[in-house]
Parts: sequence; C-alpha cells; structure tokens
Amino acid sequence: MSNPFGEPDCEIVNGEILEGFLCPICHEDLKSLEFLTEHFEKTHAEEQDVLKSIFKDIFSKAKKKIKLNLDEKFDFSRNSDKSIALTSRIEETTVSTTNVRTRLNIYNFMDQQKEGVERSHIDYFQTVRNPRLERYASETNKLVIRLHKLVKDMPTDALLRKKHDQNIVPWLDGRSVKLCPNCAKSFHIARRQHHCRLCGSIMCQECSKFLSLASAMELASLTTAYSDSSKQPIISSGSTTSDLQRNGIRSCSHCFWLLDTRQEMHESHTCRPLITQIYLEIQQLRKNVTPDIDMYLKIIGSLYEGESILTLSDASALRGKIGQIAEAIDVHSKRILSLPCEQGSREESLKKSIRLSCIQLIKEKMLSLPPLPQEDEIRKIQDRKRIETEQRIASERKMAMEAYERYGLAVSTNTQKNTEYVQGCDLRSLDNWSARPVSTAGRTQNNDPLVEQINIIKGYIKQARQDMNFDVVETLETNLRELQKEFYERQKPLRQSNETENNKSRMDDH
Amino acid sequence: MSTVQEIKCIFIKKVNLIVQRLLQKVTMNLINGIRLYIEKMCSESGPGMKNMLLDRETTSIISMAFSQSDMLQREVYLFERLDSGRSNERMKYLKCIVFIRPTKQNIQLLANELRSPKYGSYYIYFSNIIPRTDIKFLAECDESESVREVKEFYADYLSVNPNLFSLNIPKSMQRLNWLPEALTRSVQGIIGVLLTLRLNPVIRYRAGSSVAQNLAKQIFEQITKDSTLFEFRQQENGAAPPLLLLLDRRDDPVTPLLHQWTYQAMVHELLTIRNNRLDLSNIQGVPNDFKELVLSGEQDEFYSKNMYANFGEIGSTIKSLMEEFQRKAKDHKKVESIADMKNFIESYPQFKKMSGTVQKHLCIMGELSNLTSKRNLFEVSELEQEIACKAEHSAQLQRIKKIIADERIAINDAVKLVVLYALRYERHANCDTSGLLQIIKMRSDQAHIIPSLIEYAGTHVRQGEVFSLVRITDAVKLTRNLIKGLKGVENVFTQHTPLLKETLEDIFKGRELDPLYPAINSELVPFRRPPQEVVVFIIGGTTYEEALAVHQLNNNGYRVILGGTTIHNSQSFIDEALAATEGLQFKHTKSMMKYYATSENF
Repeated sequence: MSNPFGEPDCEIVNGEILEGFLCPICHEDLKSLEFLTEHFEKTHAEEQDVLKSIFKDIFSKAKKKIKLNLDEKFDFSRNSDKSIALTSRIEETTVSTTNVRTRLNIYNFMDQQKEGVERSHIDYFQTVRNPRLERYASETNKLVIRLHKLVKDMPTDALLRKKHDQNIVPWLDGRSVKLCPNCAKSFHIARRQHHCRLCGSIMCQECSKFLSLASAMELASLTTAYSDSSKQPIISSGSTTSDLQRNGIRSCSHCFWLLDTRQEMHESHTCRPLITQIYLEIQQLRKNVTPDIDMYLKIIGSLYEGESILTLSDASALRGKIGQIAEAIDVHSKRILSLPCEQGSREESLKKSIRLSCIQLIKEKMLSLPPLPQEDEIRKIQDRKRIETEQRIASERKMAMEAYERYGLAVSTNTQKNTEYVQGCDLRSLDNWSARPVSTAGRTQNNDPLVEQINIIKGYIKQARQDMNFDVVETLETNLRELQKEFYERQKPLRQSNETENNKSRMDDH
Repeated sequence: MSTVQEIKCIFIKKVNLIVQRLLQKVTMNLINGIRLYIEKMCSESGPGMKNMLLDRETTSIISMAFSQSDMLQREVYLFERLDSGRSNERMKYLKCIVFIRPTKQNIQLLANELRSPKYGSYYIYFSNIIPRTDIKFLAECDESESVREVKEFYADYLSVNPNLFSLNIPKSMQRLNWLPEALTRSVQGIIGVLLTLRLNPVIRYRAGSSVAQNLAKQIFEQITKDSTLFEFRQQENGAAPPLLLLLDRRDDPVTPLLHQWTYQAMVHELLTIRNNRLDLSNIQGVPNDFKELVLSGEQDEFYSKNMYANFGEIGSTIKSLMEEFQRKAKDHKKVESIADMKNFIESYPQFKKMSGTVQKHLCIMGELSNLTSKRNLFEVSELEQEIACKAEHSAQLQRIKKIIADERIAINDAVKLVVLYALRYERHANCDTSGLLQIIKMRSDQAHIIPSLIEYAGTHVRQGEVFSLVRITDAVKLTRNLIKGLKGVENVFTQHTPLLKETLEDIFKGRELDPLYPAINSELVPFRRPPQEVVVFIIGGTTYEEALAVHQLNNNGYRVILGGTTIHNSQSFIDEALAATEGLQFKHTKSMMKYYATSENF
C-alpha cells in the first residue's frame, strides 16, 4: 500500500478501495497528515483519548502475551502498528499530560502483580495491650508524683530524711510481716526489714533496688536529661556501689520496674543520637537529588533530540549541582563512619552498611550520569532536525497538492488553512525565532500587552534558571514560544488595523 | 455511515475482550510475590534506619528474592537472627522489622525480646497464619508499647524460579508416612503460595496415595477454617477455578534419577544448589572469589537467559561472548577448549570488568565438563535415557552389565543404572535384577539401595505410566507413542520427558481427572473445564527437569506453578528414599532379601 495511514478495515467492508489520509473513525479523507491529526484532535478527541491510550500498550503487550490465539494476534498486530503510528503522531502535536498519565496507569495495572493477601492483628493486639498499659501508666504516674515530692527538698541528714520519707509515703507496719514477700526468707537480726520509699511496702536488703538521686531527679523532671542518654543506663541496679545505697532511693522491685519501663519508653521516643541526625541529613539530600537526576536525564535526552527549550548550560549547571550533592553525601557518610564506637559492635557494622549504601548510591546514580554532549554536536543535531522538518513539510505539501489534483476538490479554505498551519509548524521548530520578536517588540513599544507578557515571562525564566527550577523553565519556555508565535501572526493584521480590544481578549485566553 | 459505526463497535468490542483477558491474566510470579511482601514491610515501617530480625528459614526466604544491596536501598542496614548469636547491644534509634515463621520457639523468643526491647519500635510480620492466643501472649509482653504493627504476610516458601518453589524439607517421610513436622510445614507452605497468588483452588490429590490425601485434607481444613482469607473475586465469566494438584514423587521415581543436561538441572545434579547458592569450596583449583556462588535469575542476567539451555548451547554462548571480546581486544588467538578460555580470561583483566558473571559461569562450566568426562557421563546418560524411554530388555541388560562392571564408572552412577533397570523391568519375565545386584555387591556396599527404592517407588505404588509401557486398552496413549516413535529422537540425552508434563497436558486438554486425581472439595467443580491456573506440589520433592517442563508450558501461555517439599538431584532423592523406608518391613522385594540394609526389613 502506498499510503501507510490508510485503513484496511474500510476496504473490506465498503468493497471499494479508499486511499489517502483517512480518519480511522469517520473515514473522511483529510488530504494531509497535518489535517488528519488536527481533525483527530478536534473531532475525536474524547473517544480517542480512551482508545489510543489503551491501544498502544495493549497491542504491544497482547502481541507478546497472547501467542495462543495466533490468528487473532495476527489480525490485531496489523492494526496495532497503525494505531501506534497514529497515536505517536498525535502525541507529538498535542501536549496532553493527562493522556500520558492514564496510559501509564493502565500499563502499571496490567504489568504489576497484585500483592498477596495479608491480615493485620494490630487491632486485637492493642485491645489486649492497651488496658494493661493504661493500668501501669496510672500507677507509674502516682510513683512519679511521689518521687517528685521525695526528691524536692530532701534533707541531707539521715534521720531527718527518714522522717521526710515517711511523711510522704506512710510505711507499712512491719510487725505482722514475718517473711520477705519477694524471696520468702524470714526476717531476723541479720536480715532486717526495709521499706520501699515509693510504696511503703517491706522487703529485705537483698531484694531492695536503689534508684540513684540523679535519675530520680530526672524522672521527676526536676533536671534536664543527660545529653547522651543512650550511652549510660540511668537506672543502675542497686547492689553495685555502696554510695548509691547510701544516697539512692530504696524501692521494691515492682516500683523499680515500673519506673524503669517508663524510662525506657521515654528513651525510645526521644533517643536521637548524632548518627540519626546525620543520617537524616543524608536522606534529605538523597530525596532532593532524585528529581534533579531525572531532570538532568530529561534535558540530555531532549538535547540529543535537537530540542532547544532547555540549553546546554542548564544541563551543565544541573550536573554541577548533582556533583555537589554527591560530595555532600560522601562527606556525611564519612562522618557517620568516623563516629566513635566499640570495635566489632553492631553499631560499627551499621555504620559500615550506611556508608556502603551511600557509596552505592553515588556510584550507580550520580557518577554514571551520561556526559554532556559537545556544543557543536548539538548544533549539528539541531540543524539536521530543522532540515528534516523542512523536508517533511515540503513533502507533505506536495502530497497534499497531489491529492487535490487527483480528486479535483480544490476547496480554497482548506488550502489557506493548510498553509497557515504549515507555517505555524515551521515557526515553532525554527529556533532562531527567539531573537526576532525582541527586535519587533522594541519597535512597537506602544504598550502591547502581548509584548509585556513576553517580557514578564522572560524575566521569570531567568529567575527560574538561577534557581535551577527546570520544570518551571520548561513550561515557561513553551508558553513563551506560543506567545511569540501568536505575536508574530498578529503582526500582519495589526499593521492594517489596531484592534487592540480583540487582541486583549484573546490574550486573556493565554 | 452505519457500516463505519459497525466497524467501530466491533473494534471496541475486540479491544475490550483483550483488556479483559489481560486483566484476568495477572502474572503468577513467586519471586515477585515475595518481593512485594518484603517491599511492603520496608515501606510500612516508614523512613529511618532499620534492622531486620529473622529466623533461619525467613533468612533464606528473603535471600532468594533480594540481594543485600537491594535491602540497603530499602534502608535495612542490619540483619539479626532471632534464634542465634544475639548481642545485647541496645539500639533504640533503630526500627526493627521482625519477619519470622509463627513457630512456638519463635513466639517465645520474640516475647523475651519485647519484654526488654533493644530497638525503638517493632514491626512484626509472621510468615503464616498465627493463632490468636499467641497474639495475646505477645501483646501481654509488650509493656513498653514498642510494637507498631502485627501482620501476617504469607511469604512462607523459597522462591527458586518465578514458577518454582521449594520448602527445603529434605526428608518428608518415615516408614512411608508423613513426618508430622514435614506435613505441617507443607500445609503452611502451600497455603502461603495460594495466598500470595490469591487463589482459592480446587484441591485434587493422587488417588491411592495416603500422603497426598492426608495433605489435601489438611489444606482443605485450613482453608475452611480461615475462609475469610480466601474470599477472592469470583470469575464472572464462568472460567474454571484454579487447581491445586498434590502429587506423589513415588509416581515418577525416574526423573530424579536421570542425569541432566540443561544448565540449572545439571549444576544441581553434579554440584548441588542450595537456596540458589553453589558451594565450590571443596573443589580444587577454584579461585577464592568463587568459593561460594549465587545462582539467581533475578540478579544474574546470563543465568536467567541460560538456565534452561543445554550444556552444549551454553558452551557455545560463552565461547561467542569471548570471541566478541577478543575481537574488541584485537587479538585473534583462537579459543578452542574450555582450558583455552580459562587462560584467556586470566590474561585479560579488562574482561573481568566487562562480564564478571561470565567468568563465574565459565568456572562452573569448567567444573561440569570436568566431571562429565571423568565420570563418562555421556555414555551413562545415554543408557539411562534408553532405559527410561525404550523397551529393549535384553540389549539394555547386556549394556548395563558391561558398564557397571567397568571400574571407570563411578559406583553411584552404576547403582543408579541398576535402580532404573530394577524399577523398569520389575515385572518383566526375564528380569535379572539379582544378577546386577551381585555385581554391585562385589564393587561396594551400596546394594541395599536397590530393594529400598523398589519398596519406596516400585510398581505396587505407581499409577501413572512412567515408563510409557503401552497397554492395548489405552488407545490414546498408543497412538501418542506411535507418533513419538515416528518423529524420531532429536537428542539422545534429553529424550525423556517427565510424567508431570503429560499430566499437565491432559489437564489443560480438559480430560477427565476424577478417577486418577479425585477432588476433595468437589463443590467447587460444577462442570468440567480446564483450569486457567495450576499449582502442582510434589510430595517427596520436585526436580529441575520438571521445572523446565513447567517453564515450557508457561511459555506456551499456560500458567503453572511447581513446588515440592524439596528440589532433588539423584543423590538427595536416593537419600530421601532410604530415610523413608528405614525400619520398614519390606513386602515387595523378598527376592532381594540378602541385600537388605538391616534385619528390620525382613
């Protein structure tokens, strides 16, 4: 078949052979590719949105997957090739991001395996755990209040202190207690009764625990916590130093355990040693750099395709930025590695693996970025692309003309539209265009809002470039180009009549 | 314009049809299934440094799906085993992901951990269904409120290939009955696979096999008990429900005994793959970097491309890769033998950079070809295949006698040949197993293997036609065999196809299954239609040859998952058979009495 965009379906059904740029939906002959796409965009925009998004992936996937139904596959792959060609054309001209997104969704949905079943038990877990915790919490709170009172103005003299303690927590009467409730050994002269200062209960010396004053102060929140609380357990069990026994607060094992648990929970909520802080910084850097890397790859890709919205200097600036972040990550991870820790401890291996993952990240993501293309190389690509577009336009024009001749339908409106469109297309792809409107703008400085707008956008672009906000640069640049095109097209009628009002209303549309 | 609209309608209908079909065809990939679970674990615990607390089995489960650097990327920097070698270091600034099997011992250990927590917060994932009482017990231990999540994630099997799983139970039977712990583990493993893939299947088991029936019953009970887990969207279009097929290794004792020539199977047969790892440390001349090798299709492109290719093909693939490099290096020294290749590699350090994996595989290939020539495997394998596929009793007997008497043939290979012969011609009029046993007895003390294997998987247990013996009554089989014979054999070393392949082909053709494979939950089978998805589980272990058969079927558009209590090579299969028949009173091999291992067998 001479024309790759003809529809085979209609041949079969209508019995006669139609050739030319046929719309696959309404079978109208549209003479040229540009018309076909335009027609497609306008008339079938909605229905095609769904169709074309599905087509492209389904067919390519279907080809691979459904080898079973050979005949069907054959039938469809033929169609799919065409629809792919069509859709890719359409996508070139329309910049519809939503479209791309829906396509992606469908793609993901089909390619991805659904996660397996899961079942959560956390609700039941909590219904069992939380009442217990609440009970403990109220008990512990009571203890903390008592502790606060005990520690607040504690006398240094031993006798006075005993009195002070008994004042706050009434001690249990020891006469009826014959055995230590904890170890069940009998009390006598050698094994004397002792009282828990927190609940007043009785136990022997061996079963007593001691809370150091410092940690008691902290628990009662009279002093601020140690700076590196993780290093040193705040509550140390009593039997170690005699000093602690003399000065510390005697408590039974239950009260001690409650306070210990409280301390532990507090610690796990607030524990933020240096390593965590540095690690957070690294993660922040890592998070920041991912969009930059994507953007860089996008710029490089577009440069190789000969587009000129984002320039080589943009890419090199971004590359510099990525390099700086890589260095920062490197420095941070080295800092983590150099933090003091025990030899052969798990902390050491933790640091090593953090460092390893940072090195991996830098190596795989940042150092392996493709190099910047040479400037003259880009110029060559751009030249070649321009020539290609020109040739394409010329050949399309020729084909359109041939089509007219064949069918003898020289509808004048069509021709006009055609040339206009071609021109527009031409303008857009020529990139020496950014210079000319400026000069014209200089000439017609009679407060043309379009010119003003152009200048404003230019200012924005400059700012965005400085901030390396290349997403914004890209959208602004496309806007600018459209404005410039509009401005150019306005120029001719403008010279004839100054219909500023009309102009302004159209401007607002932008 | 009406015709145009008609076309449009047809077109849209066709598209819809395809979309529907694709949506139904959700991929069944076990490695992906495990990955999704683990990724979810990592993401649910939020950002921050993480430690992973595992047990022995979950460690291997994860390592089959992810490499360590994969885990580093997911912020998991430390790994710890719950059941051994724990340190007392407190690291409150770490989050702890706990991924363990719900065993009694694990629960106890975890409870201890929660009573004195070493990490800041805990995200607990059990690899299978856990009793409520255990949850309660754990909740009572969490006094410092450090548990943030308790979930069941059913990643409870080892995903070897995308469509192959193993449970690493080397010995599943005792006196030809289930070992209780092996049975429980198998139920859990299969439940795990079904839940990962979201299947609520018809359960069919090999008729007459008590182990298969037992397993089917237990799985059915578990599914009924936790029916809420198995409530999946019903297929509206009336497609048949998926099928879980429980088979017995003893139906096909031949496949694990044969020598293999495709890469993955051959490596396993000769060097033994354990959890996708290959241990070469006791082989001489292996460079230090290659003492332990990872063979994972996910991480090694060469392996994933070539694991089903046969020995000769891989040799030429490696050769062409090296020749390509040689061209690049502008050196035209000819590479002819594997030894040449080795020299070549060593002299070109750049090559190491270009394709480290190829060097690894070259090392393996070198070892394989070494063993092949040392053990005369071409000769042995050809005879093995003949016994398995052709019925020429007297000629084969002569060849076996000649080969097993040959001192150059390894005794293991000789025993395997005799086992194959004995299984094949057990009921043959001129069967001369005892004559062969005498030769084996003269060479070694391994003669007892043969009666044990016949007790394990002799004609009295088998049901399918493992040796394609033609019965006149079975016309279909007869013609099929005729066609097979007419087509001729493409490769003498790979003419055998496992019984499983035939079984699966029958299933997909929609043949009547009830007599051979009755269903335990027959209410799910309202009408006979071939199922779309099949999960096969072989009690007593599957093989890589069967995995290849399944892979080929899947390539043709079917969807089959294969699993087994373990993945056998001939040695591990013989070991399992010996263990299963130990202490058993032998009934079917009275004629070989004098070769029994112990007096218990009388």
